[in-house]
Order: sequence, then C-alpha cells, then structure tokens
Amino acid sequence: MAEHIRFTRNRREFLTDAFCGFGSIAAADLLLRSEARAATTNPLAPKPPHLQARAKAAVFLFMAGGPSHMETYDPKPLLNQLNGQKRPAAFGEAKYQFLNDASRLLGTKRTFQRYGKSGIEVSDLFPHTAQCVDDMAVIRSVHGDMVVHSAAQYQMFTGRILPGFPSIGSWLLYGLGSESESLPGYVVMPDPKGALEAGQPMYGNGFLPAVYQPTTFRPGDRPVLNLDLPKGVSREDRVKTLNLIKGLDKADMRPGDQELEARLNSYDLAFKMQTEAPEVFDLSKESAKTLEMYGIGEPKTDDYGRRLLLTRRLIEKGVRFVAPISGGGPGVLQWDAHDDIEENHLRMAAQTDKPVAGFLQDLKQRGLLDTTLVVWGGEFGRSPESQGSKGRDHHNLGFSMWMAGGGVKGGTVVGATDEIGLNAIKDPYHLRDVHTTILHQMGLNQDALSFLHQGRRERLTEVRGNVITQIV
Amino acid sequence: MAPRTVEVAPRTIEYDRMRRTSALVVFSLLLVLAPRVPAGSATDSAKLAPLGKYTEAERRHWSFLPRRNPVVPAFTQAADQAWTKNPVDAFVLARMRKETLGHAPRADRRTLLRRVTFDLTGLPPTPAEIASFLNDQSPQAWEKVVERLLASPHYGEHWGKHWLDVVRFAETEGYEYDNFRPDAWRYRDYVIRAFNNDKPFDRFVQEQIAGDEIAPAEEETLIAAGFNRLGPVRRNAGNQLVASSRNEQLTEMTNIVGAGILGVTLGCARCHDHKFDGFRQSDYYRVQAFFAALQPNDLILAPEAEQKAWTAKATPLQVEVGKLQKEIAAATKAGMPTADLMAKLDEAQDRLPAPLPSLFTVKDDPANKAPIHLLPRGDYEHPGDRVGMRVPGVLLPPDAPELPDDLAKPREALAQWLTDPRNPLTARVMVNRIWANHFGRGIVATPNDFGRMGEQPVDPDLLDYLANRFVQEGWSVKQMQRLILLSNTYQQASLPGPAGMEKDPDARYLSRFPRQRLDAEQIRDAMIAVAGRLNEKQGGPGVMVPIEKDLAQAMYKPSQWVPAKDSAEFNRRSVYLLYKRNFELPFMQAFDAPDMAGSCPRRESSTHAPQALELLNGDLANGMAKALAARLAAEAGPDHRKQILLAYELVAGRAPRPAEMQMAMRFLSVDATAEGKAREQFALAMFNLNSFLYVN
Repeated sequence: MAEHIRFTRNRREFLTDAFCGFGSIAAADLLLRSEARAATTNPLAPKPPHLQARAKAAVFLFMAGGPSHMETYDPKPLLNQLNGQKRPAAFGEAKYQFLNDASRLLGTKRTFQRYGKSGIEVSDLFPHTAQCVDDMAVIRSVHGDMVVHSAAQYQMFTGRILPGFPSIGSWLLYGLGSESESLPGYVVMPDPKGALEAGQPMYGNGFLPAVYQPTTFRPGDRPVLNLDLPKGVSREDRVKTLNLIKGLDKADMRPGDQELEARLNSYDLAFKMQTEAPEVFDLSKESAKTLEMYGIGEPKTDDYGRRLLLTRRLIEKGVRFVAPISGGGPGVLQWDAHDDIEENHLRMAAQTDKPVAGFLQDLKQRGLLDTTLVVWGGEFGRSPESQGSKGRDHHNLGFSMWMAGGGVKGGTVVGATDEIGLNAIKDPYHLRDVHTTILHQMGLNQDALSFLHQGRRERLTEVRGNVITQIV
Repeated sequence: MAPRTVEVAPRTIEYDRMRRTSALVVFSLLLVLAPRVPAGSATDSAKLAPLGKYTEAERRHWSFLPRRNPVVPAFTQAADQAWTKNPVDAFVLARMRKETLGHAPRADRRTLLRRVTFDLTGLPPTPAEIASFLNDQSPQAWEKVVERLLASPHYGEHWGKHWLDVVRFAETEGYEYDNFRPDAWRYRDYVIRAFNNDKPFDRFVQEQIAGDEIAPAEEETLIAAGFNRLGPVRRNAGNQLVASSRNEQLTEMTNIVGAGILGVTLGCARCHDHKFDGFRQSDYYRVQAFFAALQPNDLILAPEAEQKAWTAKATPLQVEVGKLQKEIAAATKAGMPTADLMAKLDEAQDRLPAPLPSLFTVKDDPANKAPIHLLPRGDYEHPGDRVGMRVPGVLLPPDAPELPDDLAKPREALAQWLTDPRNPLTARVMVNRIWANHFGRGIVATPNDFGRMGEQPVDPDLLDYLANRFVQEGWSVKQMQRLILLSNTYQQASLPGPAGMEKDPDARYLSRFPRQRLDAEQIRDAMIAVAGRLNEKQGGPGVMVPIEKDLAQAMYKPSQWVPAKDSAEFNRRSVYLLYKRNFELPFMQAFDAPDMAGSCPRRESSTHAPQALELLNGDLANGMAKALAARLAAEAGPDHRKQILLAYELVAGRAPRPAEMQMAMRFLSVDATAEGKAREQFALAMFNLNSFLYVN
C-alpha cells in the first residue's frame, strides 16, 4: 500500500504516505506537517512531480472521429499510383469496421509541401499550423488496438478499451494536483455539435475519487455548471449565507477535525471559483490582434478559436489539463470521413487549422509553450482503401499524431508507416507510449502514478509504455 | 486486565484437506444427481487445458481456508462483562484491548436514531419518530426502533441499493449506443423486494446466477437471472465484432461472480494466471464455461392480443429497417456512401414502437453453445486450450476433475457450490459487506478482494463468527443486522476520546462509531424528504428528471433523455432514478456515486469545491431549500426560534446548541420584506451543514 500515491483521506494516511515517500528526511518534518495540512484541507493542492517536469500543463487537441494520416502529416505518393487497385498482398492484412476484400486503395487529392527549417511535409489542409512545424514533433507511427470509435476513444483517453478507467486528465490531477484554486484543474471542452460515441466515461475519473473528475465546459461565456448565483441571490446575500454556514459548522466542530476543516475549506474554494473564474472566461478584454490570430469572428473558426483562447487563459492560471474537442454529434460532424474524405477533412481542417496555429503562436509569444505540452490527434487514422468511392474507413494500425511545447523537440519526425500508410513499420509507438511520454514530460513516472483498485495497482499505461525518446 | 486468551485448534494441513474433501463431495454429488442433456456438437480439436497445480501457500491463503469456530471472548471485569452485551461486543472489545483501546460511551438517543434511520432506510428520522423514541422508557425502546426500521419498505430501497452497487446495475447498455434496457428495472425491484422480505442470501444468489434453470416458470426467478446480463454491452455500427461482443459479455458474467459473490479478483486471471492469488487462467475460463450455453432472453409478458397489435404496428417499420440494413450492406459492398442511409436507419429505428413489456432474463441454449477456450492475453481471436466447467481449483482438492459437458443446469451447479455452507468465501464476503455498510468500513476493508492484495481482516475471528452465524441462521441478512445493531459497539458515540485519535485514527478498531458522510442518494433523498416533498411511490421503470439542455447535449443521442411527464416523479427516491451509463447526473457524480462500469464495493467520500457549488447554487438544493423554508413557516409559525428548532430537528435530528440558535436568530432577524428570502437562505444553509451531511 505504502509505495503508491493515492488520495489522502485523513491525517494518518497522509503521514504514512508522506513518510514512505520522503523517507528519513527528518529535517523536512516541519515542512511535511504544513504540507500535510495543505493536502488534507485541499486534496487538489499541488504535489511534487516524480521527475524533473518539463511541462506544467497539457492540452489535448482531440480530433474526434479519426483524421486521416494520409491527408494530413504522412504523405504517401505510392498510394496515388495504386489508386483503384487492390492492396498488394505484401502490405499485409488489416481489420476494418466496414471494409472488406473488395475494397480498393484510394489516392489522395491533397498536396504536401515542406515547411520551416525542418522541412517537414504537411498537407495543404493545414497552411497555418504548418507555419509552426519547427515547434512540432510529428509521430507518424502511432497505433492502437481498437478500430471502433467508443473503444478507441476509451483507449486514447484512459489507456483501456473499456469504460470505467480514469482518463489521463484525472491521472494528472491525481499525480500533480492543480496550480489553480479558483478554476477546475481538469477541463473538457466538447464540441458544441454534440457528444462522442464513448460518452462521458471517456473523460471520467473512473475509480479515482470524485475530486479528480473533469469539469465539462458548456458553450458560451458561463461554461461551468453551478457557478452562477441562483436567481434573486446577490453576492452580498451569498457572503452572508456562507458566513452562516461557517459559523454554524464551527459551533458544532471539534477543533482540529481535519475532515470537517477540509469541507469548510472547500466552501472557500467554491467561493473563490465563483468570484474569480468568470473573469477568466471573459474573452472581451483580449486584443483584436489576438482574436484575429485564433480566427475568432470568422464563422468557420470562431467556435474552436474561442475554445482555444479560453484554453490559453486557463493554462495561464495554472489549470493542469484541458481537452478542447474538435468534432461531435453524428459522424459527419466529426473527422469520421466514411463517405467523402475530401469534403469532410476540408471542412474540419478549416475549422481548426487557424485556431491551432494561433494557439501555438500565442503560447510561444507569451513564453507558455515551454511549459505547456500540446498534443494533437484522433482516436485512430483512416484506411488507405476507400469506403464507397471517396470515403475512408477507420484505421488503427498506423496513424499520425503530433506534440509541441513542454520540452518536446520541435521540427522532428519520428516513425513511419509503410508506403501506403497501412502499418506502422518504423519505430511504431502504441498509444501507451504516447501516454508514457505525456506523463514523462509532466514529470510523472508511469509506475509510480498508480492507484490500488480491487487488488490491482492500476496505471494509465496498464502495460508499460516507453518514452518516445527521439522527441524529448 | 487483559481478556482471557482464546485457544483455537491449530490449523493443520490434514485438517484442511479433510475439510476440502468434504467440499469436493458436495461437488461430485451434484454431478451424479444432475440431469444431463444429450451430448451436443461440442467436438473440438483443441486439447484440454491442464487442471492446474496449486502450491500449499496458495491453498492456505486465509480466506480460502474453511471458516473456524472461534470462541467468543469472555471478560473477567464486571464493567467489561456488562458492556459485552452480545458476541459482537466481545470480539470487538477483545480486539480493542490488543491495541490498548477502550470503547466509547453510548451515543445519545437523538444521535442513535438519526444514525440507525439513515443506516437502514437511507432517510432521516421524522420529528414524530424522534419524539416517540425519546419518550419510550421501556428497556426495549432500541429494539423496537430497529424492528420498525427493518420492517419499513424504505429499508429495501436503501439496502437494495448497496447490492445494486455491487452488481453494477444500470438501465442502459453503455458504450456508444448506450441503449435503454426498458425492463431492467424489474431486477432493481426484485432486489428491493428480496431485501425487504429478507430472502435468504443463499437463495438470493442462486436465483440470480441460475433463476431460469431453477424455476423456469416463475417470473421472480427469471427476473433475478437478469443478473447475468447487467454488465455493459458493446454494440457497433456495421457490427463485425459479434464474437468480440459475446466474449465481453462472458467476461462480464464471469468477473461479477468473482468480485460480487466470491469477493476475489478472479477477473485478473482473464488474460494470464493471477499474479498474486492461486487462480490460473484456466480457472477463469473454467468458471466462464458455466455460462457457455447462456443466451439473453427477453420474455414478452403482454397478452397475445396486445402482441398482435404491436406486431401489426411494428412490422412495416421492421420491414423498413430491414430494407435499409440491406441497402447499407449493399452500398458498403458497392463502395457507395452510407451516411444518409445510416441516418435514415437511425430515424426508422427511433420510430419503432416501444418494446412490449418483457422479462429481462436469460436462458440456456445448449444447441448453440460455443466451447470455451483459454484466451491468451484475453484475445478471443486466438483461442488456446479447451476447458470445461469447474470452480477455481485452489478451492478444490488436487486434480479435481471438470464437470461433464452435458450438465443440463450448469449454472445451478455453480450456484449450489457458491452457496454451499462450506464455501469458504461467500458467507464471509456477504457478512463483511453488511458490516461495511453499517460501519463505513469492512472487517476486511476491501470487500471485493479477499485475496492477497486485499486487506487482512481486522479481526478474522469476528469475521468467521459472523459468517458461521449467518449460515446457521439461514443466511438471513436481517438477523445479522439485528445482531450488529443491538450491540453496544454499534451504539457507541462517534466522538473520539483523548487517546482514540492517536491509536485508532480511522476507527478501524471501533473504539468509537465511525462518523460517515451521507452518500449521494442519501443527501438527495434527505433534502427532498426534509423539504416535505418525497414521493414515496415504489418500483417501476427508472425515472428521468429534467436536466439543463446543455447537459442533454453531452449525450451522444440527446433525444434519449425524456424527463417524466408527471413532475411528482422528479421527487422519487434516488434508487428509482434512471441510471444511464454514459450520463451521470452532476449532483450524484459530485458526491461520489459510482459510474457502474464495474462492481463498486464501497463508496468513496471525497471533499471538493463542486460539491459546495452543487449545494449552494444547484437547482435541487435551491428548490428544496425553498420548499423547506415554506414548511418551516407553515409548521412552526412566524416565531423564528420555533422555525430554527424545527429546522434542526428535521435536518440534523437534534436541537440547536445555544451558539447555533443565536447565530440563526441573528440571520433571520431582518426587515419583514426580506424575511422570506432570509428563511430560504437559512434553509439552504441547513443543507450545507456538516450536521446534515454527516451521520455521527
């Protein structure tokens, strides 16, 4: 029990955990005691990382539905030559959701160009993001286990193909706490067009205590549920009521009762959140130049731009993990281009390209990119074969993701798929390797970040992953 | 003075072997007597997996050994003798003494009544109930309260909920479609009834595992067998993963027998031999083999005329659906776009008439039974050795054989073994669950894991004593609860003495009653009850309450959320609210309600700001605060002092302290125009108090 970190429920447990963690540093006793206090009154208080952390915050730009690697970051000239033919047997087998033996390879209409000093090839879907390529590390050899949305989404967010496991955001909060007292530490910003196949459980805290649960932002400028005072209640009223609650609680409390003190403290935090958070949500004081950078005000990019600008504002205030989701509701409103890869990807890219580029540049100019790990990708890629005449099916054996900031080596490309983009053949990286790398950049060790659940020491990575050393 | 030490027979290997042999006898007897079905087509070229070898250390893990017969500790001092009113007290006091701890004084009557009322019914005591208990001078006053509460219909609603947590009950399938299970509520009501009627726990388990085999014509047992279908089910667009889905369902059925009934992490052995306990991968699949013939069964209840009418309405739509499915298949094959067709299919499926009432149950279909194989790393596409039915070998004598493949009622055999009085786990695990729900912590702190990675029992003798008694008294849950509730242990005050906090910080040795936070359902139900709005209607389909539009938007199919038409339904008890796997109500989520993805052995009790935001700004808290304020004015009249007294009586089950009275009086002393609002805010404050949220 002792060596794993877990939510501390009371003073004794904390001290047990803490002393096992910090061993014999007797001189730190006093410090520990004060930390013990902080930890028991606010379970989200920041905790030291296991390793030297390169990033303080992480942002997952999740492209729901599965963007095609062949149309984005992984040019495949041979695919165009083989357009309309059957997949040569030499490339091996793949299992798809819909495709069968009759399917034919589909070339791409996208053109690729080299960008930046690194000369990394990026398709014409992302003219803006391409300008940031020297800050990006493109991984062209990611693979996962599942070829259907819900299970693949669970795996992308929780490391498991089943619901019920904590998401990466919950793990990060559990491991590191939150730097912000007035804002939720883990924020999901769904696409207002709707939810994803995997539903709420993909973002959830699973078996971790509810304190590590995500806060799902709603569209608009009042994104957090229950943050507004009820109708007819003024701030002054609320202060009075809060004082009454505290007074009555204290009158019935044994001094030094840490659990009840923690509850009182949670009311202070709630009040702080209520008063300070709306300011963070208010984008109106941002300069016209900044708004333009994110594409705010332009119909296609306005929504994702606003969410990414808000993301930056949250990161500035110490929020640990934000997941702005692109795509939601029916598949056609996600990157799930079964019918028409052209139409779908042009539309989805147009909504996100400029905001993503603006976000990266903005982080950079504010000096935040160094400490913010940005990750881009979907739950899988898409099939080299066509579905229908111009769509692509799901594909999990090899696809692209990228990372930027947070200590990641920009301007690098790692791994490769074969010549038609079917299998990751060079330096393949499983999703668990992506997770391990994210944890590593955040200063967390995949083994130490564990939680004893029903007799098993559960980890995000389940099976050990490897840090993608070429990019860190 | 220390208690007399208790002599127990040394546990010799021979002794254990003897006991285990008797377990085998039961098992083999079942084989001889059990009717068989004619040998099926189960010809399978794969070789039979080895039966497994288990080390002595694995076999001798404490919870796998037969229960012992511990002697109830006796005490020499008069004070101790007086306090150890029943065997629970004797064991608990003896254990405390080992830690040089003493027991706490008895809690006052108001505290006791609030504690036991929440504990047994999930609801607060009413002022009338408080008055009646305070005025009852008879020595049986406490027994009477316990009996009254055990007989309350609310008892089953609360204790049923504990079981529903264990079996991860929800009314949807989970995964992307998260389809409704329109008849799953019958299982929930079955569980509530079973607890209310004190159905013997062995029978309760048998009905759930094998109700359809035991009494195939009885509605009650058929509903119970729906237990086997409670896990999430994955359905996919263009479902090419039928085998995978079947495998997942078998996995769910197997795992819940381990976690829920046996209290072991058998599920860990799905992909590889268990790393800590003596469960081989072959054991896992041998347990799974009991379910090989099982198929879901939706047994329509409606009379024939109604079925005909339904068919007449549904047939054209079903034809349309079928046509669309064919078109989609054809389009897919021909490489044509399918999105439009899929949307049409979705829409047509939505128009299908609501399914007729049916029983959500299972049946055996031996003709379509697929042989069970070891699946290395859990991969259903690469089956390994073949296995037949057998319970985990570590609990059997060496080389115990598999059961014959053609057993007519395989799950009944499993259920018999699970509930055999000599099964070392089942009774221990259940009494521990009962104990944990009363004291907030089990004798074994990990109720779903009695294996090596689980916690050791705080007092193995107490656990065995209780388990033995449970079995002797006919597996009666209520009898066990009488024993616990009538003990002095249960009736201690929760305030720690001076040494208590140091030596027993988390009250694991029960040197005081462990204070507990109300769980999500209790908080919600108590707010509604105190506000005078509780709709006590029992049973029936799960209720959907209104939610913000933005929240519905967070569902993959927002149209699935249809709030009840009758607003009185919104104030039903939480156990009757629809539990949707992919959408938890924010209030419940904030207060640690489980996600029902897997078995939940114990609720967490976390503290964080969103809870405060729910109770300060949430619709439920504010709505109920308004109702409570109105109730205070109506029942206590205009006198603030009387309003405050009533509020404390309702919300905290006690009178306010002078300091509390003074503060509340000051808060309510405002201009006449502001009085209504002040009362509402006062009522809201009451819901936010520790005195409300915690049970002492």
